[in-house]
Amino acid sequence: MNIKELPNAEGFFGAYGGKFVPETLMKALAELEEQYNKLKQNTAFQKQIDKDYADFVGRPSPLYFAERLTKKYKGPKIWLKREDLNHTGAHKINNTIGQIILAKKMGKKRIIAETGAGQHGVATATVAARLGLECHIYMGAEDVERQSLNVYRIKLLGASVHPVKSGTATLKDALNEAIRDWVTNVEDTYYIIGSVTGPHPYPMIVRDFNAVVGRELQEQSRKQFGKLPSAIVACVGGGSNAMGAFYPFLSNKRVDLYGIEADGRKREKAKHSATLTKGTPGILHGALSYLIQDSKGQVLPTHSISAGLDYPGVGPEHSYLKDIGRVKYFPVNDESVLEAFHEVSRLEGIIPALETAHAFAALPKIAKLYSTKDNIVVNVSGRGDKDIATVAKVEGLTLE
Amino acid sequence: MNRLDRTLASLQHNKSKALVAYLVAGDPDLKTTIELMHGFVEAGVDIIELGIPFSDPIAEGVTIQDAHDRALKKGTTFLKALQLLKEFRSTDKDTPIILMGYSNTFMANHKVLESPQAKNIDGLIIVDLPGEISHKDLGIKNDQLHSITLMSPTTKATRKKAICRNASGFIYYINVRGVTGHSTLNFKEMANNIKEIKKSSNLPVFSGFGIKTKEDALKASASADGVVIGSHLVQMIEACSNQNNYKKIYNYLRAIAKAIK
Ligand SMILES: Cc1ncc(COP(=O)(O)O)c(C=O)c1O
Repeated sequence: MNIKELPNAEGFFGAYGGKFVPETLMKALAELEEQYNKLKQNTAFQKQIDKDYADFVGRPSPLYFAERLTKKYKGPKIWLKREDLNHTGAHKINNTIGQIILAKKMGKKRIIAETGAGQHGVATATVAARLGLECHIYMGAEDVERQSLNVYRIKLLGASVHPVKSGTATLKDALNEAIRDWVTNVEDTYYIIGSVTGPHPYPMIVRDFNAVVGRELQEQSRKQFGKLPSAIVACVGGGSNAMGAFYPFLSNKRVDLYGIEADGRKREKAKHSATLTKGTPGILHGALSYLIQDSKGQVLPTHSISAGLDYPGVGPEHSYLKDIGRVKYFPVNDESVLEAFHEVSRLEGIIPALETAHAFAALPKIAKLYSTKDNIVVNVSGRGDKDIATVAKVEGLTLE
Repeated sequence: MNRLDRTLASLQHNKSKALVAYLVAGDPDLKTTIELMHGFVEAGVDIIELGIPFSDPIAEGVTIQDAHDRALKKGTTFLKALQLLKEFRSTDKDTPIILMGYSNTFMANHKVLESPQAKNIDGLIIVDLPGEISHKDLGIKNDQLHSITLMSPTTKATRKKAICRNASGFIYYINVRGVTGHSTLNFKEMANNIKEIKKSSNLPVFSGFGIKTKEDALKASASADGVVIGSHLVQMIEACSNQNNYKKIYNYLRAIAKAIK
């Protein structure tokens, strides 16, 4: 079996994935899968996406040599895949550009999405605005607070933001509420999931649309340093930026892949978002995958300084890649993330998103494993503008 | 043959419609749950659906979500719910009990569901499990439990047959495009869909979601073999729990039982 041919017809990556949803949604998932498989083969569809990627998103995103970071770690050459330079500031738009075309083709009039950091909400509101479609974004009440800048951006783009107060009032609860909306309005509504999570076919679709990052990286690395990278490092929340960067390299075992999870605060061991490292298999939001849960099957509250990683689940393909050992996953804590956030800002003139800063925080550990002949790539999933207020607050400053 | 088979056979024999009542284990507390279950039976309820609280109940409206939250805050667990059933069975040996909940809690507690304790229950409704598969696909090794499948207004004709083949006990027809408590009922669509389901299955078909009043129950039971009352009961339980007096609920159920039987 070719690892890149997963999921199977039932939507499983090994033991993980599937469609664990209320019956009312089964038809919508089947239609989505059918439509996607049809469009995937369609060259006009591919052309339209490529054109939007180029003219609207600004693709390809550069592969940038990080000279001062490289100097600091004294080992491998460190390169940055600049998804932070995309329109709207993160990789999330790679997915929404593709899914909105699916929505349109399926004749849906109403778009819904969940968001944590607000980046997926902004990316969804953006493409909905462009096509003049009604758009509703579900966001945990706690995230509405810590990502207020993005909340306002979403509203400027003409979408409604629905704060979700149930449960832990973060990303997982926003997903619950988006699914409930979808169950209720299934006939005219398209749900744009924001990561490689959820029931089949979403993990596959979101991965495929993000895989443009990995494909560009293949070409750029050959051109810029004459070979493939020795390692690719990406942060993992649901796992879409990582999956997009990893996917084209999965069957090339010489490229090491690292997924970096959020370990929360150093001193508070019980609350974290390190699903793959510390979770156990379970079912949430339509898929069987690793899950942060107690022994009785209740999902546990999570914590991360970054709203976009503050999620107890993870995409099923990552669970599979962990079990077969193709990708190595490990967590970094909030403190080291803040350190990396400052370091990258000062050394490279790039303020990364707090999510992305997790990938940078893993560099001290990873860079040691490679020599000066190696090239390692950090996927810069997004920029940090949205996080300025959060970081300032942690450091005791209040911004007007 | 378990209690559910016997109850369904006797309902069919008497040409009587089934009244199914849903409540959440541990809401407002486990002791009251037992009291309510006995009260339901006395009021004419044939089958009890015992909700197993879950942290992320994606198919529930606000009413049942809140009940799950209350039950979890009270420390309700799967094990405690099963212990409660043991107590219930000390005086009620006949009323079928179906656990209703989400895949993750059932999967995490599969060992209990394979133990002798599971003899007190008769079936499972796993809300987020596709109708083509059953609890056995979640690794729960128990052949005695009925795996109740759900169908909705959006279930495609091509899947209906496969689901009917896999169905056991009764078929649960979801009346609405929506979460529990959603209240726009379309009785004509319901009747058509139930008729359609019956072409592929001899099992009784029960109608659930959104049934609130006696009139709803009457209209639904014109085409369905039974009706399920959920959110409205949960709402009444919450309202009555302040005074710890549930008579109003029993009267309500008694009136419905009388109307549809
Ligand atoms: C910049 C950025 N990176 C990463 C993530 C995490 O998502 P994923 O793991 O799907 O890439 C988010 C989510 O909001 C994000 O905004």
